[in-house]
Amino acid sequence: MEGKVSKLGRFSDPALFILVSLADGEKHGYAMMEDIERTCGIRLGPGTLYGALARLEKRRLVEPLVSDERRRRPYRLTASGASALEGRLRDLEGLARAGLGRLATA
Amino acid sequence: MKGGMARRMVRLYPRAWRDRYGEEFVAMLEEHPVSIRDFLDVAFAVLDAWLRPQVASERRMVMVERVRGSVLLVLWAWAFLVVAGVGFRKMTEYEDFVRAARDNAAVGVAFYAVVLGAVLALAAVVVGGTPVAFAALRKALAEGRKGVPLLFCVPPLCLAGFVGYALVLVRVVYPALGHTAVHDPVNVALFLSLVGAFLLAALASAWAVSAAVRRSEVGRRPLRFALYSATVAAFAMAVVLVGTAVWGLALRAQAPALYAGNDGLLSMPTYATWLAIVVVMAASTAVALGATVRGLRALRTENSVERPAS
Repeated sequence: MEGKVSKLGRFSDPALFILVSLADGEKHGYAMMEDIERTCGIRLGPGTLYGALARLEKRRLVEPLVSDERRRRPYRLTASGASALEGRLRDLEGLARAGLGRLATA
Repeated sequence: MKGGMARRMVRLYPRAWRDRYGEEFVAMLEEHPVSIRDFLDVAFAVLDAWLRPQVASERRMVMVERVRGSVLLVLWAWAFLVVAGVGFRKMTEYEDFVRAARDNAAVGVAFYAVVLGAVLALAAVVVGGTPVAFAALRKALAEGRKGVPLLFCVPPLCLAGFVGYALVLVRVVYPALGHTAVHDPVNVALFLSLVGAFLLAALASAWAVSAAVRRSEVGRRPLRFALYSATVAAFAMAVVLVGTAVWGLALRAQAPALYAGNDGLLSMPTYATWLAIVVVMAASTAVALGATVRGLRALRTENSVERPAS
């Protein structure tokens, strides 16, 4: 399951940021961009954001919500999206722990 | 960024991408200042969108929505036909009508055509609706959404409530009333309350199933199957309509006294009750057939849309 995020090539990091942004609730594109900048300190370009969003939607990790306002369509995590995010974050947590441990003993 | 410039940038994307994300992408570009870096970012993204398309056509999504809407419309039309059909069944349960159906071939054949059509329509709705309900439930349970399963509980609960109310009337209320005339005001009021309960149960059930299916992401295969079943149901509804119409006309020709009498529901004129039932059935059937044609057209268009590369 965790491979779903890491297999997105150059879009895997933006995809991870999007999944993290949607983890606390639905957001539309611009809200995601602002949230990612605020929480991850990275400003995704509009093309990168929607390129990653399209990949995530195609893999059913996120889904659009029905909205009267097509110009501000919100997205949310699917169950498999939440599961993939959790798996990827656990991988990164293990990697961080291993890296920090090695630095401490060096 | 100004709207004109944003729209020009979106035009660089492939058609399917524009159909799917164009509006919201333009809105996002308009909402914040765009730097040179953003221009370059969009340029790379455009190149990527052409080289590795990710988007199923929005048109395809619209078509799927149309098929879903058609299926639900047939369900609603069927619910109204059921209400009218129950009225027809109630009227024809009297001995005079049973005798007319037995003694006059045309009346009898028309009556059995109504029964056959009703059974076929019910079977088509159940057979077509089950995979859709199953798919919607599976998806809702996988996502931990409790609202959809609760909505699917409404029809059996409505049925249980209606049957329970009818049993209370038959086993408790009527025996307590003692022997009263059939069209005594109390009897009429209780009968009307039963009709109201049935109407409420039928409409609440149709609403709940519609809401559950609308809130769920149901795949194309169960929807396509449901549409074919809905087509069968619509034709069965037409059989019910024609049967009911022929039944009334045959009754007028072969048992004119009964036709002109006051043997309709609640002692209303027979012809008026029959006519009202036919009108409701005709409207329901017209809606069902129209929805079916619209859905089949959408399905044909959807099938003709080229599948995007994966």
